[in-house]
Amino acid sequence: MLAARLDAALRRHGVRAGTRRAQTFAEALAALAPATRAATYHIARAAMLPSIDDLAAFDAAFDDVAPGGAPLRPPDAPHVHVVPQPPPPAETPATPEDAAAAPLQRVTASLAERLRERDFDTFSADERAQMLRMIESVRVPRELRRSRRRRRNPHGDRFDLGATLRAGARTGGELIRRRTTSRRERLRPLVFLLDVSGSMAPFARALLQYARVAARARPGVRAFAFATRLTDLTHVLRHAGDAQLAALLGSAVRDFGGGTNIGANLRAFNDRYAQRGVARGGTVVILSDGWERGDPALLAAEMARLRRLTHRIVWVNPHKRHPAYEPLVAGMAAALPFVDAFVSGHNVRSLDAVADAVGYAIKTP
Amino acid sequence: MVYAQVARDIPRANVIAVEDLQRRLLDAGYIADAGLATSLACAVNLGRAVLLEGAAGVGKTEAARALAAVFGARLLRLQCYEGLDLAAAAYDWNYSRQLLAIRAAEAAHAPAPDLYGDDFLIRRPLLAALESPRRNGVVLLIDEIDRADDEFEAFLLEFLSDFALTIPERGTIAAAHPPIVVLTSNRTRDLHDALKRRCFYHWIDHPAVEREIAILRLHLADSPAALLADVARASAALRALPLRKPPGIAEALDWARTLELLGAERLEDRFFEPSLGSVLKYPEDIAAARNAAGDILA
Repeated sequence: MLAARLDAALRRHGVRAGTRRAQTFAEALAALAPATRAATYHIARAAMLPSIDDLAAFDAAFDDVAPGGAPLRPPDAPHVHVVPQPPPPAETPATPEDAAAAPLQRVTASLAERLRERDFDTFSADERAQMLRMIESVRVPRELRRSRRRRRNPHGDRFDLGATLRAGARTGGELIRRRTTSRRERLRPLVFLLDVSGSMAPFARALLQYARVAARARPGVRAFAFATRLTDLTHVLRHAGDAQLAALLGSAVRDFGGGTNIGANLRAFNDRYAQRGVARGGTVVILSDGWERGDPALLAAEMARLRRLTHRIVWVNPHKRHPAYEPLVAGMAAALPFVDAFVSGHNVRSLDAVADAVGYAIKTP
Repeated sequence: MVYAQVARDIPRANVIAVEDLQRRLLDAGYIADAGLATSLACAVNLGRAVLLEGAAGVGKTEAARALAAVFGARLLRLQCYEGLDLAAAAYDWNYSRQLLAIRAAEAAHAPAPDLYGDDFLIRRPLLAALESPRRNGVVLLIDEIDRADDEFEAFLLEFLSDFALTIPERGTIAAAHPPIVVLTSNRTRDLHDALKRRCFYHWIDHPAVEREIAILRLHLADSPAALLADVARASAALRALPLRKPPGIAEALDWARTLELLGAERLEDRFFEPSLGSVLKYPEDIAAARNAAGDILA
């Protein structure tokens, strides 16, 4: 049957339409009994195309099962795919207090203060443990979003007539206590995506430490490492020891150096996690130098997709610590339009800027 | 094989053919291309929702209006926003009325009234859509579903599968005649695939020049035809620029109206700049259009 064959062809072209859509297509074919190839195409498209992004693959798949015939889309209708234009990224200063710091304070800065300002990639293995402990004092943002759900709250902002009446039934119809509700608030998910390839490794280790601090302080934190492939580190975040974390990062980096296929990794993340709701309404922190070995266009497309699935994207690029840094690498230039905040995150102090970029709302549960 | 079981047998006589629907939409003042007409015909004939995606201003909402006009149906519009809840989307109780009924019964020393009768039920669009008096009697437009949150999407999933609503005090209300459901999305975020699977899908593109001319003529029958053709061509040229907000059909219509007010017979140089504000809404876009004026007016 055509529906089954088209479903299979779509799968071959990387589009997962699913049995339910195929069934719908079969029903529509039976109902509308199309006479021409073009009519069949439009029905197939209405029933089986999951998203406009899949149109090229869909057209190819349709050609496979119903070969021949002229191109089906009129040539004068250019396929304009409008991606909502995000606002330009906010230039969050890497170290807010840096500029204001008086020279005298610099001179008398304690050892701890010097450690805070030292770049992550300059630590020896022995010193690193001390630095990692310092990260534990960095603030963990708990960004809340208002849910549509309301809950009973004696000091709420909306009068609940229904509840007031129901309570009145217990006191013989007299309305004694005024009942109100307020909006429930939910913690936004916080997801770390860490590029562990090449020179990013020491920064990834530090940011992973921060992810771990965050995961201990609040729920809804996840972390992923990527180089050759995407690895979910969430389950080890809370419980793994320092040595185990280092080993895990090491195994992800193996036989790698000088750039990674960021777009493909992001696509894997979108397909397997973001699309299913892992980061929905949440904040994604991406650590990478933007050195894209693959196609920057894929990276841009996946960033656009990630943007639609999340609330905020924070990009951490340690190269930004250099005052003259400009995002000239193709991957970085492709990703920046979709980024809400662009920060350096290269030392303990600048992790404060990362925390600020994630969100200001500090509340205890 | 699962596909072989075609679930519902639709009587041939009741099927509305694609071309038929396309013609009737045109009579209602809406020009639908073959793809859109097919999606709408599928939705109407199979009693399933249709999801229309596309940039702002390409006529998604208008399609639902036209569909309602075609069937002489009641149009129920539910505008989505984050925080949309059941009381605003489905039903609510008229509490003040319930209160008054209790007081009135008390004063008359009558037995307690039934507080969950029809009189006290406020029907919001989703509930009202279930009470269609006849086949194709209601078009339910769920507008900008991408603005609603996950929880509402999850609720909608249930609603679209069964076309039924459960009110605890009343029981389950099922539709005798399922409404025609049109969902629209500007695609500011991706919808859950579970919701999309339940819908027919159509992406509405900006219209081709010829179609846009036809649309402009349909709405502005008294304007000079040459001016409308110029506006359609220039709008297409503007959409090719990297703009923050490419003009939709609504903006093209505004532009044509503005030019007519300025007394233009054709889109000439001297009318171009003064009228740009009616079609572009960002200063950056206007600057970009000014720089490309030569190409746009060519």
